[in-house]
Amino acid sequence: MFVLPPPPRYPAGGYPGAPGGGPLIETNNTLTHPTGPEHQLVVGEGTYVLRDDLHLATPPPHPSEAPVHNPNPLATTVSPPTAGTKLSVVVIAPRQQSYQRLYRLDTTNSTRSQVPPSIQESPHETNSQASDAGSHSANGVTPFEGLHAPAFGEGNPLLSIVNGKDAKDPLKRRKPKSNIVKSNSSFVSRVIPHEALSKRLQEHNPNGLYAFANVNRALQWLDLSSPTKEEHMTKILFTKAHALCHDVNLVTRGPNHIDMIMGFSTGDIIWYEPMSQKYVRINKNGVINGTAVSDIRWLPNSENLFLAAHMDGSLVVYDKEKEDALFVAEDQAATGEVAPNEKERKAALAVKKSVNSKNQKTNPVSYWKTSNSKINAFAFSPDCRHVAVVSEDGSFRIIDFLSEQLLHLYTSYYGGMICVCWSPDGRYIVTGGQDDLVSIWALEDSMLVARCQGHNSWVTAVAFDPWRCDERNYRIGSVGEDCRLLLWDFSVGMLHRPRAASVRQQRGSITSATLKMQKSRADGSTTRLRSNSNLTTASLDEDEIVHPVEPRARTAILPPVMAKKADDHPLCWLGFEEDCIITSCSNGHIRTWDRPKEGAGSDDDEPSTTSTSASAPASSA
Amino acid sequence: MTSFFGRFKGTSPASPASSNTPAKKDPHLPQPTPLEKLLADAGPLRGDGSDKFFGFENFGSTCYCNSIIQCLYYSVPFREQVINFPSRSPPEVLERPAQGPLPRLNTDLSPLANSQNAALSPKGRNSISSPSTASPRKPVTTPGAVNNPQGMKPEDNKDSPEYKKKMAMAAGPVLTMDYENSKAYGMSESLFTSLKDIFEAVIAHRSRMGVVSPNKFLEILRRENEMFRTPMHQDAHEFLNLLLNEVMENVEQFSRQRITEVGDSDSKSDSNALSVASTQTASVPDRTSVPSLNNTGWVHELFEGTLTSETRCLTCENTSQRDEAFLDLSVDLDQHSSVTSCLRKFSEEEMLCERNKFHCDNCGGLQEAEKRMKIKRLPRILALHLKRFKYTEDLQRLQKLFHRVVYPYYLRLFNTTDDAEDPDRLYELYAVVVHIGGGPYHGHYVSIIKTQDRGWLLFDDEMVEPVDKAYVRNFFGGENALACAYVLFYQETTLEAMQKEQEAEGLAAAKHATELHQEPLSAAIPKQNGVANGHPLQHATTPVVESEDQFVSLGHAATAPPIPHDPHNPPENIVTSIPILSPKKSNLQSKKEKAEKAKEEKEKKAQEKELEKQAKQKRKEMELKRRENYKKQEEDLRAALAASKLSAKNEADLRRSHTQVDGSENLSEKEPHVQEKEKENGFTSKGGLSRFRHSSMSIRHKPKFWSHRDKHESEAKTDTEHVGPQTPGVETGSQDVTPNATPDKPEKEKSKNRFSLGRKKSTFHL
Repeated sequence: MFVLPPPPRYPAGGYPGAPGGGPLIETNNTLTHPTGPEHQLVVGEGTYVLRDDLHLATPPPHPSEAPVHNPNPLATTVSPPTAGTKLSVVVIAPRQQSYQRLYRLDTTNSTRSQVPPSIQESPHETNSQASDAGSHSANGVTPFEGLHAPAFGEGNPLLSIVNGKDAKDPLKRRKPKSNIVKSNSSFVSRVIPHEALSKRLQEHNPNGLYAFANVNRALQWLDLSSPTKEEHMTKILFTKAHALCHDVNLVTRGPNHIDMIMGFSTGDIIWYEPMSQKYVRINKNGVINGTAVSDIRWLPNSENLFLAAHMDGSLVVYDKEKEDALFVAEDQAATGEVAPNEKERKAALAVKKSVNSKNQKTNPVSYWKTSNSKINAFAFSPDCRHVAVVSEDGSFRIIDFLSEQLLHLYTSYYGGMICVCWSPDGRYIVTGGQDDLVSIWALEDSMLVARCQGHNSWVTAVAFDPWRCDERNYRIGSVGEDCRLLLWDFSVGMLHRPRAASVRQQRGSITSATLKMQKSRADGSTTRLRSNSNLTTASLDEDEIVHPVEPRARTAILPPVMAKKADDHPLCWLGFEEDCIITSCSNGHIRTWDRPKEGAGSDDDEPSTTSTSASAPASSA
Repeated sequence: MTSFFGRFKGTSPASPASSNTPAKKDPHLPQPTPLEKLLADAGPLRGDGSDKFFGFENFGSTCYCNSIIQCLYYSVPFREQVINFPSRSPPEVLERPAQGPLPRLNTDLSPLANSQNAALSPKGRNSISSPSTASPRKPVTTPGAVNNPQGMKPEDNKDSPEYKKKMAMAAGPVLTMDYENSKAYGMSESLFTSLKDIFEAVIAHRSRMGVVSPNKFLEILRRENEMFRTPMHQDAHEFLNLLLNEVMENVEQFSRQRITEVGDSDSKSDSNALSVASTQTASVPDRTSVPSLNNTGWVHELFEGTLTSETRCLTCENTSQRDEAFLDLSVDLDQHSSVTSCLRKFSEEEMLCERNKFHCDNCGGLQEAEKRMKIKRLPRILALHLKRFKYTEDLQRLQKLFHRVVYPYYLRLFNTTDDAEDPDRLYELYAVVVHIGGGPYHGHYVSIIKTQDRGWLLFDDEMVEPVDKAYVRNFFGGENALACAYVLFYQETTLEAMQKEQEAEGLAAAKHATELHQEPLSAAIPKQNGVANGHPLQHATTPVVESEDQFVSLGHAATAPPIPHDPHNPPENIVTSIPILSPKKSNLQSKKEKAEKAKEEKEKKAQEKELEKQAKQKRKEMELKRRENYKKQEEDLRAALAASKLSAKNEADLRRSHTQVDGSENLSEKEPHVQEKEKENGFTSKGGLSRFRHSSMSIRHKPKFWSHRDKHESEAKTDTEHVGPQTPGVETGSQDVTPNATPDKPEKEKSKNRFSLGRKKSTFHL
């Protein structure tokens, strides 16, 4: 017999740094300027240097929340979702978007004029056909701003009335109703405007960046071009809800007006106009959908409509000016939890309320359900027709939101997908996920183009660098839980095939065209895509929508051109600006990396990337 | 006793109501536990034990054992194999109580007995099962009366795990496993038989919930392994390792005996069986003689994979390969990494130089070499050990790494060899062993396990509690995380199964959401404190595939979808089944059944083939159509293209030059690879401890090893002896470093030596 030791216990506070009740003090943001080689990103075009590190102060917990001393590490209470710091960046008076200079607008126009109108209807078709013929450099990139894509809900007169009314007086934007500073809502805890807010507004450089950043339960409005950028313009503290996502409307922005929306962990959405400090709460208490909003974005070219992804797999279009109404699915067939045919349902988008619905007096404008699993992110295509949606179950959908139809359903290699973005020309979509991979997908070929291997952990954000993209070469940036920023140069011709497959490929060059030939399935869906613009309601073959997982042996692998630790904490957002790269991390650090100085990199202003010498003749054509 | 079995028999097949815990029905109980709530709608008991949720009593720092046993129990194939190993068919299991005296249930409920089973009391030690006394000492009928929570003081924090564990113990039924049935299995007493005892008892018991007191198991464990004798905190991975090896050994030993027995006359073995006084064993020899022998390698089949280490001598450029079996993989951790990346690091090239040179047969001498390990055969269950306990040389002791290492719910392996079968195999996370505590020498282990159709459950010794799926992600580790995942269990699955499950999970979530809608008040702060407003947890009730061959089919299932055939690219990896793993249920089913199954399968296959053919044809047609369409459109476009002919020419040039770039790509690829290698957190010095690196192939011998058995046994014995008194940091001869430096033959012996204990982390024996 021996004496038994006491039963195991959780060491109480024995571990240093254990979370405890700290003082409830509101702290200020801090700005630091770390220097040294570890704060430089060396790429082919030159060296990106860390300009500064802005640390957003994490607000203390709301007084109503009892501080937890010695928390049970096994506590099974479900904690509300939260998100690391993400930014919504806006320039009030942008110069001509520089990346558009890269595209030869004249050739594009001239080419398009010769294309029969039936094809012209969809800009992708022209691109794909041109590229098939091996000459897409002529019109590889269509500047979508000049092109009129049909607006969402155009066919529904009930919606267009509202839009028309607004359009009459574009200078006087409508503001939300309630003042957030004077609000006595229990949802908002405190609003702290800067003492000299109006002065700072006046001093703001119209070409400078405004940013909105969430950290914990706070949302800060920052002027990134200000010399005192660590001082927030306005800080809003919410009581319990965390803002998980936010977006600024680029159509309605102006010197006196910014429309921004935020989605919260409670499901609520706030439309906020920072200049006048007005706001409106939408989906109050989750009337329409009670689950957290994981991503939110204004519909492209829309003043009023925005799309919110809820964690139950719903995509809901709201109108910022409409009242909420208890939502009852209109299409009964779609709501049934018992699907008539499992596969059929998987291959379709359940439209619970169509944009064409007759009932458009209240929110939601439309309501779609992709699946039952959490949507992590979505992105609109530059041509304003498609939305790419990635989910926690590893699915990746391309939806034609104008016709409310699911076009493609892909699956990650494994694990959930976390982030998604479109190439500036709309031909490629890039996703990142829990398989540590950045995956590049081609829209018109409807296939996986390459998997980018290099992250040491989950990929949390991906973005194209439009200033370093041309019609053949693309610069992609990605950040991940591994605290690193990776840059990838992807060009149509440079794909490196895996050993097993390349043996067979040695005869010819490997371009997206030959890749395409390998895949009869993918080709089938291309055909369908072409004819799709005519028949919007035709039911599509499940086979062509649902794409299988590509085995590793058959997928091209792309290595990064740069990989560097960019923060001490997992990164969660990445943005490319004309003069810098911005990253932000889960702990509230916003880091700005200056692009290489002119002259330092030999071809800094050139559209071509250094990795492919071959791109030079193409751009001079 | 008859009454007991009568009751048992009566409840099992038909009456769902009575199969619930009696406590459930007690009107005096104010609040059912979350687990009781979860099981409230449970149907009739199943025979396979998938709907049993028993906690394990902690005898003081035995949580390492509890957490691992739970993980193994909820591995469906492992449980099945343990139950079926000395072959027996399920109906027999059910009939057994009626047939005759083979009671293996000791449903001892008296609180007195519970409190005094203070770890392996001498009484427990000495009591060897005598079937006649095994009837329940007290009826299990009214546990509710014993443990009425109203009797508890309200001051007791009801949310504390201590309270919950106490309640679980009090609620019972407590299965005191202080007996053993090894003779009934025809085996000698071993860790395997006592593990089997536990599984059998849990499955046979008519309650879905309860507590197991694994006295006998611990007794055997401690008797045979000195390092587990102390009441100190033990290493759960170490234990898993030992247990799997032990089970493997026991099973093989048994089958070797069988062979010799079968070699003897049948009558003799019959009489043998009779002397054991068990109807069941009597039937063993004749039925099992063949299948059971085929089936002895089931531990191998489940957990074992093969690693290929390629060593390239830098002097003569000669590459030598060596295959090694592993039962689990131990991976080094980096701050802010993922399991995927840890595995990739595991297979990264390693330089063998300086003290650690490689003996090259070709050049004949110690040479510098490059070595890398890749997975050649993927295991069905991948046990990943995250090396959170690292020896720090300056402190002269082990330290816990709190690195944040994320793990996905689904996984595929990147570090496979080119010729690996089914390199895209899909794994799903089904269990996580969590270590809670600041260091390696103390703390607590719990496991979080995905059960077949009840979602994720937290097993914390006596307590079993349903948790949300997202809960699994609380143990990535990080700055302030005391509780971090330590061992991850991934099991093979299919894409279809994954999608089905996700669908079900989503449905549960959706239901939960609609429930929330009905109470708008709580909707304001949903998920804030779920327990308070009802039942927050979303349980995926995966539609259980009831068919018998569920597991068999998995063996043949492709985890990556078949590659569409086309002339340009003939398929490479279409066959994904692993031939070695096939006869899973062979001893479960009668031959007739088997034949039927085979027939069915054949038909199925034929059907599938036909479908595939049709699909192919369709694809072909579509391709044709597409080409036509394509041509047409191309012609349409020709006009447009004419305009850009010049640029088309350029394009062609460009493409040519791109091909060149493509070629050189191979060379330049190396560069980022090097960058990748930069270590962000140089916690380990490469010299001393990285030598532990691949020592993780915790297996003792290869599948056919039992033929060398005797030699091995003696080796094992000596090994155990000298492992005992070691101090941390001292290495046993189990490093894979030294073997490399020695000539080939000794190397083999050495490696066997290592396998014989699988104890590279001799540092853990404390």
